[in-house]
Amino acid sequence: MKKVRGNDVILSFVCLVLGFMLSFSYQYTKEQTAKRNVTDRQWQKEYEYRQLLIQAQEKNSKLKKQLLKKQEQIHQIEKELANEQNAYTGLVKEAEQLRMYIGKVKVKGKGIEVTLADASYIPSEQNATNYIVHEQHVLKVIHELLLSGAEAIAINGQRISHRSYIVCNGPVIEVDGVQHAAPFVISAIGDPNVLTSALNIAGGVKDQLVNDHVVVKIASKEEIVLDPVFHTNHD
Amino acid sequence: MWLPLIGLIIGITLGLLTNWRIPDEYSSYLSISVLAALDTLIGGIRAHLQNVYDENVFLTGFFFNIILAASLAFLGVHLGVDLYLAAVFAFGVRLFQNIAVIRRIWLAKWMERRQKS
Repeated sequence: MKKVRGNDVILSFVCLVLGFMLSFSYQYTKEQTAKRNVTDRQWQKEYEYRQLLIQAQEKNSKLKKQLLKKQEQIHQIEKELANEQNAYTGLVKEAEQLRMYIGKVKVKGKGIEVTLADASYIPSEQNATNYIVHEQHVLKVIHELLLSGAEAIAINGQRISHRSYIVCNGPVIEVDGVQHAAPFVISAIGDPNVLTSALNIAGGVKDQLVNDHVVVKIASKEEIVLDPVFHTNHD
Repeated sequence: MWLPLIGLIIGITLGLLTNWRIPDEYSSYLSISVLAALDTLIGGIRAHLQNVYDENVFLTGFFFNIILAASLAFLGVHLGVDLYLAAVFAFGVRLFQNIAVIRRIWLAKWMERRQKS
């Protein structure tokens, strides 16, 4: 009886140890598996996703680079456009200026007005041609004005261009096919002081004209408006 | 008869209730010890059924096997050879053999009883 009891005690001890080990191992394994619950499949999935992510990132960076490049290109193009526009505005200004010079547009500005009138009867001269204004007088004035920097010139309101002609036609002169009679009013746009003094030089145009018995009147004007060349007010 | 069962239950509850944890590198020792214990237990049952059961053999076998398995695993870890696999293999094979023997004995007993009745 006593031996059986001893047997039982030992056996129960063995069972205790076994039970403890079993349960402990079970719990431990459960914990471990819970901790690293990553299977091969999950690894593979993760790998795939990582790969995808990397691909996406690579694509992203590529696109970003492209975007930067394009932006730079746009910047360049914009700059070029701005330059071109500048050039265009410059050209437009230049064209406007040139048109003013060749008389295609209406111009206005400071200037002088030179009036050449026939002299009244001079008894000492027998010939009437000696005391009327000739086309050469007008030409002289116009040349002098051009030389001294006149920007636009008109005779009796008719604008003359670089291709204009002035011819004598009996008692009148003809400017580009339009006849004008004395007195001739020559309007010139430019610096009034310069133009006036150019005409007034001693022995210059004015003196010569006066010698030829032409009545010369020079007046500075604050504003002179000249019509374009082909817009003449003849009738 | 009830004492071993009570011991088993107490052991299981103790194992479930302990908060103490062993480090990761000793987990193989634990598993091999469990296997050794199981093997010894099954071997004991088989011996009992074959009427060759010896208390002392069982008792020494139980603890000695556990310690031997653990030390074998320890040696394997330090030698760089997975010796614990050998232990697992040996214990596993013996476990299955013992269980097969137990099953056959039980089957024979059952057939005998059926023939009697």
